Amino acid sequence: MSALNIPFDKSMFQANPPLRFVAYGVIAMLLSVIHVVFLRFVAVSSVTPDLLLILTVYIALVEGQFVGMFAGFASGILFDVVSTDVLGSNALAKTVAAFLAGYFFKQGFSVQTIGSYRFLLIVTLCGGVHNLLYFFFYVKPLQISFPMFFMTYGVATTLYTTVAAVFPMLIVNRSKEW
Amino acid sequence: MQRFIAFVVRFKNYITLGALVVICFAFMSFGSLSQLGGFRAVIVGSVGWMQSMFSWIPNPVALKSENLALRELNMQLSVESAKSRQSMVENATLRKMLDLPKYSDYGLIAADVVGKTTTQLRNYATINKGKKDGVEEGMSVVTDAGLVGLVIGVSDHYAVIQLMLNRDTRVASKIQRSRVDGIIAWEGENFLTLKNIPKSYDVQAGDAVITSSFSSRFPSNIVIGRVTQVTEENNSLFRRIVVDPAVNFATLEQVFVVEFVADAERLLLEQQSEEGSKQRTHR
Repeated sequence: MSALNIPFDKSMFQANPPLRFVAYGVIAMLLSVIHVVFLRFVAVSSVTPDLLLILTVYIALVEGQFVGMFAGFASGILFDVVSTDVLGSNALAKTVAAFLAGYFFKQGFSVQTIGSYRFLLIVTLCGGVHNLLYFFFYVKPLQISFPMFFMTYGVATTLYTTVAAVFPMLIVNRSKEW
Repeated sequence: MQRFIAFVVRFKNYITLGALVVICFAFMSFGSLSQLGGFRAVIVGSVGWMQSMFSWIPNPVALKSENLALRELNMQLSVESAKSRQSMVENATLRKMLDLPKYSDYGLIAADVVGKTTTQLRNYATINKGKKDGVEEGMSVVTDAGLVGLVIGVSDHYAVIQLMLNRDTRVASKIQRSRVDGIIAWEGENFLTLKNIPKSYDVQAGDAVITSSFSSRFPSNIVIGRVTQVTEENNSLFRRIVVDPAVNFATLEQVFVVEFVADAERLLLEQQSEEGSKQRTHR
């Protein structure tokens, strides 16, 4: 933010967790609106990046596993509601993804993790597990091959999400205070 | 007690994960969002409003695809136009001769697609017509090419359509040529599948598939698609029949809502019969 010369007191958010959580909520709402309204412009064969998953992984890396799981659950429910999907399906996948991302949480080193290629690897890993779970539950009742479907949609969505995660990584990387 | 608290504190992450997963499964057991009634109408209205605000932004990829599809459709229509003129004259004469009842003409409500929700196995579209325009839940939606889907949610100015490419969609249908009945379903691919057709029945590639009068939700004789592949499957009494949908869902922009709502008396009777049958089975 300081790089953009916008008057913004970052320490205010760092010292005040409730304010930070409100900020996460607002960002989640904005990302879900972006997902519903604008992502169709960047869809490749109906595959779109999962912006709320990136936010969930980010929160898990900054706040830890415990808070991350609640963030994953809340953002999943929000995603299910705005995308008219089955309520709970994305919440389940994102909660588990946040649980996994929480293992990479290191107190005081979140900026270093998010601002490096490690963030992309974590997003890829969590995205893979997220999509594995999500597609498993919804392909199961159908007479189609889960591995084939996952290889088509799951892997593509994971890779696209990883590409989208490059932007927050670069932003955090630029604002690093070494 | 202290040991219990220490246990909870130590394993709080696993306990929280377990609790959240249980809550997720509980939510999933509610089924689709359609069961959330009024809440959904608010969401549908809000999302539809937001999508319509930005619907003026052109999507070059979709426009290119639509342009190509329209050119192909134009060519097909010019050929079929000549054929249909001849058929109309012939049809009118034959109807008069056989004294067949005329098909009911339903009113059509034109609408623009202002949003599409793509979650691979459940595809929905939002249109800019709602209750105040006469759209009701349960009405079917078509284009000039064929059947698009079913209205499953309505707010004052918007409606959500469950597209044919949705795993919840099941349509009673028949082969136009041989009048063989089956059920159209979607299993996540780029095509539809015609189910419940025994191996001995007459179905060939190229046959047109239309809605059947057995359907309590859709008006009959609406084009669904064309059979592209008929496969004999081992260990099954039925054939695997692949149907190419008549509608290009990737370029869907204008649709018509058919002012046809299923006969409530018929639905009630079918429901009662089904419940009675279940009760007899349990006895």
